[in-house]
Amino acid sequence: MDIAVQLQGITKRFDAFTANDRIDLSVRRGEIHAIIGENGAGKTTLMNVLFGLLQPDEGTISVNGKPLVVTSPAVAIAEGLGMVHQHFKLVPSLTVADNIFLGMEIRKRGLIDRKAQIEQARTLSRKFGLNVDPAERVAGLSVGIEQRIEILKVLARNARIIILDEPTAVLTPQESRDLFATLRSFVEDGMTVIFISHHLEEVMAVSDTITVLRDGRVVATRGKSELSKRELVRMMVGRDVSFDRRPRSPGSGRAVLSVSDLWARDDRRLPALKAVNLSVSAGEIVGIAGVAGNGQTELAEVLSGLRPASHGSALLHGKELLEHSPAEIRARGLAHVPGDRLARGVDGNATLSANMLMGRQRKQPYSRRGLIDWRAVDRETKALMQRFDIRARGPRDLASSLSGGNIQKVVLAREFTAGGDFLLIDQPTRGVDIGAQEAIHSEIMRQRADDKAILLISTQLDELAALADRILVMFEGRIMGEIDGAAMDEESIGLMMAGIDPVAAAEVQ
Amino acid sequence: MEILATFFNVGLVVATIRTTTPILLVALGGSFTTKAGIFNIGLEGQMLIAAFFAVIGSIWTGSSFGGLLIGVAAALAFALVYAVLVVSFRANEVVVGLALNILAGGMTISLMKAIFGTRGSVVGRGIVGLPKVQLPGARDILGPSYAQLISGYTPLVYVAFLSVPLLVLFYARTRLGLYLRVVGEKPEAAETLGISIARVRYIASLLCGLFAGLAGAHMSLGYITMFTENMSSGRGFMAVAILIFSAGDPLKVLLGCLLFGFADAFSLRLQILNFPSYLILAVPYAVALLALFALSWRTRPKLIRETLETMRNALAEKPQDSGGKLPADNRP
Repeated sequence: MDIAVQLQGITKRFDAFTANDRIDLSVRRGEIHAIIGENGAGKTTLMNVLFGLLQPDEGTISVNGKPLVVTSPAVAIAEGLGMVHQHFKLVPSLTVADNIFLGMEIRKRGLIDRKAQIEQARTLSRKFGLNVDPAERVAGLSVGIEQRIEILKVLARNARIIILDEPTAVLTPQESRDLFATLRSFVEDGMTVIFISHHLEEVMAVSDTITVLRDGRVVATRGKSELSKRELVRMMVGRDVSFDRRPRSPGSGRAVLSVSDLWARDDRRLPALKAVNLSVSAGEIVGIAGVAGNGQTELAEVLSGLRPASHGSALLHGKELLEHSPAEIRARGLAHVPGDRLARGVDGNATLSANMLMGRQRKQPYSRRGLIDWRAVDRETKALMQRFDIRARGPRDLASSLSGGNIQKVVLAREFTAGGDFLLIDQPTRGVDIGAQEAIHSEIMRQRADDKAILLISTQLDELAALADRILVMFEGRIMGEIDGAAMDEESIGLMMAGIDPVAAAEVQ
Repeated sequence: MEILATFFNVGLVVATIRTTTPILLVALGGSFTTKAGIFNIGLEGQMLIAAFFAVIGSIWTGSSFGGLLIGVAAALAFALVYAVLVVSFRANEVVVGLALNILAGGMTISLMKAIFGTRGSVVGRGIVGLPKVQLPGARDILGPSYAQLISGYTPLVYVAFLSVPLLVLFYARTRLGLYLRVVGEKPEAAETLGISIARVRYIASLLCGLFAGLAGAHMSLGYITMFTENMSSGRGFMAVAILIFSAGDPLKVLLGCLLFGFADAFSLRLQILNFPSYLILAVPYAVALLALFALSWRTRPKLIRETLETMRNALAEKPQDSGGKLPADNRP
């Protein structure tokens, strides 16, 4: 068996925390090897150790059968390793070719030879079927193309073992599929791909071998054919978790929110919402799907009073909510779970109690005669921590000391118990562990059963498929179309997310 | 007309070029650090210390070139200290820059007292000024009255103005120039590709010290051969201001410096009209401020923009009517 990368007993500690605990991993040449695990399972740490960005405390690495001390990325690159990071590291003001050859410029008489760089970048992109224009500036290119450039950067350095860290997090389903096809062609070419992910579907779709990490340890390494999705989740989380569509009974159908012809601008004063129409009834979850940055954030901000609308109307219980302050809208029944929980959901430097208090500081029993009763607040916080399964030592812990999933539960606990009957929930499980995701989903379903009207914005299609009654797809500020949540098909949603009307597309074919 | 002629003539252009030189040199120096992502407000101090040591050096070696070298060395020493603190120890760049500026001010005053036993300024005492370069063919080609436009400056004037196109080439086509830009714009990118951010920033700091040193030497050994307390008189700070709006781009730096140099030269002319001298001295700074204000209006901070917008919304009778102004082709 031809082993491309062999890790033995890799241990990496950060102070008292062990991120990688005696990890063994062997990756065969010519395979796509997925490393899957929840956030904090140690996937990225392990890859950073392999790539020389971190030094292991114990353990050995060998690449192509040769023992290696990877003191820096330069050593790894020299051995034919290449890494495409989760966050792209491209310089926006430079051209595609400049970015590809950064650090290994082609020079003529001491000066950088732009023409030769563009020529070589073009050859490279043709050879690997990664279509880019080398003379274009990177600023303003789509993330899909940015990722192609990152891959070309790695290929230009003659990498034969390519590590990709969460490559699909920013892509549409179609872009992801293109990426997988590219990775397949690499492997057929004799290259080796190591692929980090916490997305079950794509791991099952693209990999040959799967290694599951949990709490810094290897749970198992198996061939894909030996695994089912259910088993994979159990290995990742340590117990059975279901992301099937949640059973539901019909709600009362009473109209709660109705938005008509809503327009708004983004921070650059460009139209971000264009003629948005939608309605949400009590006991209904309406999902908003779309690639991040297609107006979802602006929609949530307008509906919560954080951003002025330029035109249109949004009626909550038949009364206009535009041009009212967030406090007024909340008083009329809005509960808002913001997309960026650290920026708008909680104050990280405040205690859990203070975070729970926010927005209800004038109400009994939290305050009396204008004075806050902290004991009562702590008591309520403790009760909420128990009900929402928030893992912290106590109500006086700082919010920032909690994990992402627990911070999100703090926000949910506060918002869902504020008495509002219109829930605006933006990205409730972004960056949240699978276990916590399931709990959050269950809580959202409980709110639905309580006959609340729920607008759920998410970029994760499986989340919408599990929860939403209807799904609206947004693209460049418009609602492209509506799909029944029970009959969601990824193909047509994917097309709409890319701005293509599936009906028109079908007609063309 | 006669008054205009006394103001706007060849002499004014020549004076503008002279007064532009020190600020251009120091601003070009700052362009290295700006491009490399360091907000260097220590320019003033580096310039001042160089001016002082250039005077000491020229007395000590008896040559203006020796003075120049020692002045530059002093500025480089300051730049090195700055780099050690800011790059290696990650100290706050503004605090360190300010501290070094204050140090330079105090140090020159106390050294002046210790060495020369005077306060205020050092004049004469064997200070050798920089020579004037007479370009050989200039008088034949341009005639006697226009020859002074290109000939008869100190060498540093030519260095300053020739550096502008060289720097353009440097940033566009050389590897170091590219790395400086990358380190400033996207340090993570540099790091993953094996470019040492610390090394590039050290180099930027030292290049900055070199140019600031030349600027300082030009001040004390150029057209006047003397050192005065705090003789950089805010030019380093003005350079910082120019760098902020030019983002270190050499051509824009040149433009900003010419504006300042022109205002400086013009204010000297105004003295003929018996304006109060303190007002006249304020002219270049006022002009620079106005220019900066005009230029930065478009990129004014979000806070100001939002405040204005809220005020406008509050004053508008029908807050929703801005929807009508949307471009027609955006409507479905």
